[in-house]
Amino acid sequence: MTRILFSDKLDNCVTRWQSAGFSVIGPVTKDTFSSYAAVEHASDFDLGIVLPDRSLKELFFPQTEPMLRYTIKQQAINTEDFTPPSGKRLIFGVRPCDAAGLSIDDPLFGWDYKDEYWFQRRNDSVIVTIACTKSDDFCLCTSLKLAPDTTNGSDILLRPLENNKGWQVEELTDRGREAFLTIAEFLQEGSEPAAPMAVVPEMFDLDTCVAWLQNPENFESKFWKDISMRCIGCGSCTYLCPTCHCFDIQDEGDTYSGIRRKNWDSCSFALFTMHTSGHNPRSTQSARWRQRIMHKFNYFPGKFSVNSCSGCGRCSRQCPVDMGITETLQKISTLHS
Amino acid sequence: MITQEKYRSKAKKLLADGSVKMVIGYSPGSTADRRRPLFVRSFEEADQLVLDSNCIANLSGYLVTEGLLSDEKRVAIFLRPEGIRSLNILAAESQLNVDQIIIFGFDSIGREVSSLSGEHAGEFSELISSIKENPPEKSSEPLLYQIEQMNPQERFAFWKEEFSRCIKCYACRQSCPMCYCRRCIVDSNQPQWVNTSSHTLGNFEWNIVRAFHLAGRCVGCGNCDRSCPVNIPLRLINARMAAEVLESFDHFAGMSTTQEPVLASFKKEDSETFIL
Repeated sequence: MTRILFSDKLDNCVTRWQSAGFSVIGPVTKDTFSSYAAVEHASDFDLGIVLPDRSLKELFFPQTEPMLRYTIKQQAINTEDFTPPSGKRLIFGVRPCDAAGLSIDDPLFGWDYKDEYWFQRRNDSVIVTIACTKSDDFCLCTSLKLAPDTTNGSDILLRPLENNKGWQVEELTDRGREAFLTIAEFLQEGSEPAAPMAVVPEMFDLDTCVAWLQNPENFESKFWKDISMRCIGCGSCTYLCPTCHCFDIQDEGDTYSGIRRKNWDSCSFALFTMHTSGHNPRSTQSARWRQRIMHKFNYFPGKFSVNSCSGCGRCSRQCPVDMGITETLQKISTLHS
Repeated sequence: MITQEKYRSKAKKLLADGSVKMVIGYSPGSTADRRRPLFVRSFEEADQLVLDSNCIANLSGYLVTEGLLSDEKRVAIFLRPEGIRSLNILAAESQLNVDQIIIFGFDSIGREVSSLSGEHAGEFSELISSIKENPPEKSSEPLLYQIEQMNPQERFAFWKEEFSRCIKCYACRQSCPMCYCRRCIVDSNQPQWVNTSSHTLGNFEWNIVRAFHLAGRCVGCGNCDRSCPVNIPLRLINARMAAEVLESFDHFAGMSTTQEPVLASFKKEDSETFIL
């Protein structure tokens, strides 16, 4: 016997969570576009999509965030900090790759400086993940040694039932247990079998790719130029990525008053590495694409022992010129290191 | 298939006899209906070229890749009529020497692909004139019609909602053949003319800058619209701007390689209705 959450009870759960002080968030489709957004009712969720167009990252690391306000009057400089927003959130229907993305970025944001904005939101959020029973041509979690039911980063894992009437509940953390205690009366014991997981074929052998990337001789390989010739240098892969985390600090305003903001930035942009002198150490798009791949599969794991990719496939799915991590690593896996 | 074979053989011939150093075309993509840009530099690689109705992207922006044409060698490129018009503008704006470009012109109706006759920019003027004279039916873009019926407040609300999704990835800029500036005004940070933040103001600033810079230059290829990862209907803004310059100045972007840029030229008979 397993604990089951039946879909027809989901709206009761949403209401209960809301009255327990949670803001309830989940995958929502508006017109042709989907993202994780706040809902009022369970019927607002779109749980049928493979995954939302936009990743979960932005709920923890928004594209623009005010950090402080400054005013300068005569001799006095006043600053007022914007404290990280607080408030309990329950994010329902997260995809395992998106949840895993959070756990990948945790060590980064807590490394030499603990990013209060990230961790405030992490501590305030309950991640209720639904394992995937379907995938598309771009999903690549299994190539990253993850799976359609990976639990990394999740507080609760729900496994869809074969009869499509609800989910088996697996409580993974105390935070998850606590949130599900509030809806205990809507859960039932049952023996309904779980639906089979999505079959996500392995697209490349990751170890072979990593070995090639770690070989210093390949840094200057002609491969980088060939693979990225059609890259147009937009930042959509990095901005849709659930783990890309680079940001820029900008002061908006004038000499006397303004706001300091933390804005997404992207290694795809030439400006990202432009020096004040005008020199750019990554002067070509191929050097920038190489950086992105190296960072994800060589430098980041070298520092934090985890790849900076959870296999959601958004980079390939949305690329205007049909590039992406999959194609690059597929090709690398066929090269001799 | 016939058109594809025709152009494949032509690509092979031109590469083999050294008439061109590269053919920019399309190859199969990661799904059945996706096509990706392909840069063919040898006879053998030409077999990877595909041409069908899914070959939609306007590839002309690749022609201004830094250093590509600086050796004065020639390059062949697959272009639809809009692509030929944007090539004309690039030439008119002195971004390339059009004599270096061999056009593999094509168009499609439904799934049928046909080749366009001619291979040099100047040979397509009749075709472009006929496109100017036969604009698409208004019903082909119902959303544009709907927006034009709105009052200014409703229109503002519509675009505010659309731009709220903008993440400033600049895919619209990078995919646009007309956005060739080495340093875009939004990347200029001394001073920072345009906010980098993608909040409401920053998103409006960017999209308005983009709209004005493309007025009279956009050929409606749709690269921006298709590349937008958050599905903002960018083509509608450009279509509106194109309609404005056509109505006010009888300017249809990309007519020829010598066409004067509408916002950088002056004629005595220009309409001055905007002067109070």
